[in-house]
Amino acid sequence: MSSVRIHIPPVRLAKLLRTPGGLPVADAVQRAGAGLESLRGECLAELKGVLDSAESCAARAGPEYDRALLDELYAIVATPIGIPSVCGLASVDTALISLSDLLDYLKGQERWDANAVAVHLRAFRLLLHTEGAADATGTQAILAGLRKVSQRYARPETPPE
Amino acid sequence: MGLNPESRARFNLERASVLMLEESTMGMSILVQILTGFGAKTLHRCETVEEAQATIQKVEVDLVIADAMGAEGEGYDFVKWLRQSRIEPNCFAPVLLTAGHTPREAVSKARDCGAHFIMAKPLTPIAVLERILWISKEGRRFVECDSYMGPDRRFKNEGVPAGTVGRRRDDMPAEVGEAETPNMEQDVIDGLLKTRRVEL
Repeated sequence: MSSVRIHIPPVRLAKLLRTPGGLPVADAVQRAGAGLESLRGECLAELKGVLDSAESCAARAGPEYDRALLDELYAIVATPIGIPSVCGLASVDTALISLSDLLDYLKGQERWDANAVAVHLRAFRLLLHTEGAADATGTQAILAGLRKVSQRYARPETPPE
Repeated sequence: MGLNPESRARFNLERASVLMLEESTMGMSILVQILTGFGAKTLHRCETVEEAQATIQKVEVDLVIADAMGAEGEGYDFVKWLRQSRIEPNCFAPVLLTAGHTPREAVSKARDCGAHFIMAKPLTPIAVLERILWISKEGRRFVECDSYMGPDRRFKNEGVPAGTVGRRRDDMPAEVGEAETPNMEQDVIDGLLKTRRVEL
């Protein structure tokens, strides 16, 4: 059995947080929210770039499994997770997470499913450009559909036909 | 837990030195807006693990917020390096890891890297603040052994794993032994539970 050392190190941050001055929680949260709001335009532009890169990457895929291409596409869609919510597009975040799950499952099973990827990218485009006008029920239906598609590959013992 | 976003309770991050590791420019901007909104002034922005390691060797940091960084999870490797670096006091710093998506291959890496908490993106200001306040609590135990170095991951004390005797001096056996003192009288128990008027 290896030796285990358990101790309680001092935490300077705890003391600093208690020093006089600072901000009330409500003000801090409001200031941070305002700061994020100022990034809205940049975030939207970034997402449009992500969509273009993802579509052109997926378009290069052949019918067979290609690990390098899957890695590239995964990096493109997983890195910006968190950005859409800053511009009020939480549904785009959900779509990106579903696509990342799908790519992760495909990698694990060394498979490629062009249709499953394409349906995610089409939903990404739709949600990015029409979120403001779309009704909540429609958006939820799209996301539920995506989740169903990616979850088809979640269990390797029952691969889809 | 649940921090009330309307709370007037104060906290002070002005003098805290915060290291941020985030490869995405937009992700870094989001983090910066959140932290400056909280009043933090000393922010060390690192886009690569190498930059973050160099910063750890140069300055004292009070808080680390690191992204998992891609499918390979370089951010997890950085936290593991930080814990094993023995650069005090930085190696004991509270670490908040953020991750957009965690591939299945990286789950055990994420669990074992030694971070205090792993937050799934998207980040919201109230959730980040809640976690910063939580991980900065004093009195948190730190575990050092061959396979792990970081904060104690036991949040709930459910006893030692089944079939083992435990490795800590204060680990209790699963079997409850015979009582060593007489049972309490029912009147005493009732007295403890009785509702009483409190003078304020």
